[in-house]
Amino acid sequence: MSENIIELKNVSFAYNENKQILTDISMKIPYGKIVAIMGGSGCGKTTVLKLISGQIKANSGKITAFGTDITRANNKTLEQIRTKLGMLFQFGALFTDLSVYDNIAFPLNEHTKLNKTLKDIIVAMKLESVGLSGTQELFPSELSGGMARRIALARAMALDPELMMYDEPFTGLDPISLNTIAMLIKKLNDNLKQTTILVTHDIPITMKIADYIYFMSNGKVIAEGTPKEISVTENKSVQQFINGEVNGPFAYKYNSNKSYDYYLGRESI
Amino acid sequence: MKNLIQSIGRPFSSFILMLGETSMLLGKIILSIPYILKRPQLIIKELFFSGVLSIVIIAVSGWFVGMVLGLQGYNTLQRFGSVSVLGSLVALSLIRELGPVLSAILFASRAGSGITAEIGLMKATEQLDAMNVMSVDPIKRIIAPKFIGGVISVPILTMLFNTCGILGGKFVGVNLLGLDSGIFWSQMQDSVNFHADIVNSIIKALIFGIFVSLISVYQGLSSKPTAEGVSSSTTKTVVHSALAVLALDFILTAFMF
Ligand SMILES: Nc1ncnc2c1ncn2[C@@H]1O[C@H](COP(=O)(O)OP(=O)(O)OP(=O)(O)O)[C@@H](O)[C@H]1O
Ligand SMILES: [Mg+2]
Repeated sequence: MSENIIELKNVSFAYNENKQILTDISMKIPYGKIVAIMGGSGCGKTTVLKLISGQIKANSGKITAFGTDITRANNKTLEQIRTKLGMLFQFGALFTDLSVYDNIAFPLNEHTKLNKTLKDIIVAMKLESVGLSGTQELFPSELSGGMARRIALARAMALDPELMMYDEPFTGLDPISLNTIAMLIKKLNDNLKQTTILVTHDIPITMKIADYIYFMSNGKVIAEGTPKEISVTENKSVQQFINGEVNGPFAYKYNSNKSYDYYLGRESI
Repeated sequence: MKNLIQSIGRPFSSFILMLGETSMLLGKIILSIPYILKRPQLIIKELFFSGVLSIVIIAVSGWFVGMVLGLQGYNTLQRFGSVSVLGSLVALSLIRELGPVLSAILFASRAGSGITAEIGLMKATEQLDAMNVMSVDPIKRIIAPKFIGGVISVPILTMLFNTCGILGGKFVGVNLLGLDSGIFWSQMQDSVNFHADIVNSIIKALIFGIFVSLISVYQGLSSKPTAEGVSSSTTKTVVHSALAVLALDFILTAFMF
């Protein structure tokens, strides 16, 4: 068995012919490590997670998960692989018709035959670990955005998956919960021998807890390395991102547009 | 020229595509029946939301439709001096046509649109994706129970509609206009045949239920994950259901009666 839980080799992806989303991406996620994926908004980070969890299929290239090539896997194999991974969605994706308790117990109900007492204990433990004990009876509509994400985190952890993928777990959290969640991610990774893929914009936290960082821009990996290597990189785009500078090689626009350019005085109509 | 052919062809090809997708969806739903049988509480919940909560609107509408039938029937029959057959007229029009058709259309607007909106919103907020990643098939867990709930509800609601309609017709004919209640009921009993009328009414309702429920879940699943997407799918559910029910009714009536 290889030392990588996930491997992407020259993966390309597009939703339609008009716009290539990912071009020739290669990544390695070693067992037991925390790997961070960083990059500007819309550069394709969520898309990478969707490819790994098999929600979308790569157009070319190869993705290996737990030693299986998932670009060619059938639905049964995909389902088996998915039971080993947990994913925290960018916007939580809690089931709005279920209470907090039922949301967290959902994977337990579907994949285990635990009795009620055990489920109660697991749900209480998971809630405690995200700092929201006693919220079992609430409904998603009664939660704040940050609370909802922490509940979603508890749900993703319910089955203690081998691989956890977090899509921007820190946005909208106050500094205390942010650090709590970051420490929790680190603790889960170390104590439960989990592997972690962390998509985030938070530079200080990433530098602190990640073992390896991939930088993406425009659907390509533009830099990679350990936090130490990244912090001394010569790459202008990465420097710009780390320092949060407005001007630089990162251009924050989707597509140039004639009337907008005209408005900026760059072009005459 | 090519553009013209394309623009004529596109609605047809998208219609064929839709038919193909709906049949595949129906196939997947049928394959999930074993899963559902192990979790009957999922269907009970849907029966409550789409069936029980539609009872009031179905009963009230049935009552009013029956009253209108009683009133119109009485006026018309009076001209021919045959008010005594009012009971048959009310019962047969309701059981054979109005009951199944109106119940299905009311069901589409009351419950079907709700089903579409709920599924569409679950899609827009990534709840279906999240379920997929937890290796739970949303077709089994969400779509199939809603579909089956609808298929069971529509025939029962249709019978309720028929019953309330007949009572409404009786209220107008007997209690308001003074027709003899013995004549009203005995005429009805004579002319309504259990197999030809009532069983066929239930079959119609069942087929309408299948179509309306399938349209509702299909529209939910294929809605665009935005607020406008969900709202336009909800509208489509009601419009497509109404058209499908009326067209099917013609075909079924031609075969049945
Ligand atoms: N369903 C879709 N259909 C077509 N294009 C899509 C779809 N989802 C995302 N995209 C496009 O894919 C690109 C990458 O999106 P993705 O969600 O991966 O970005 P991201 O890096 O996660 O951004 P953010 O940090 O804002 O979450 C975007 O340009 C977006 O326009
Ligand atoms: Mg994203």
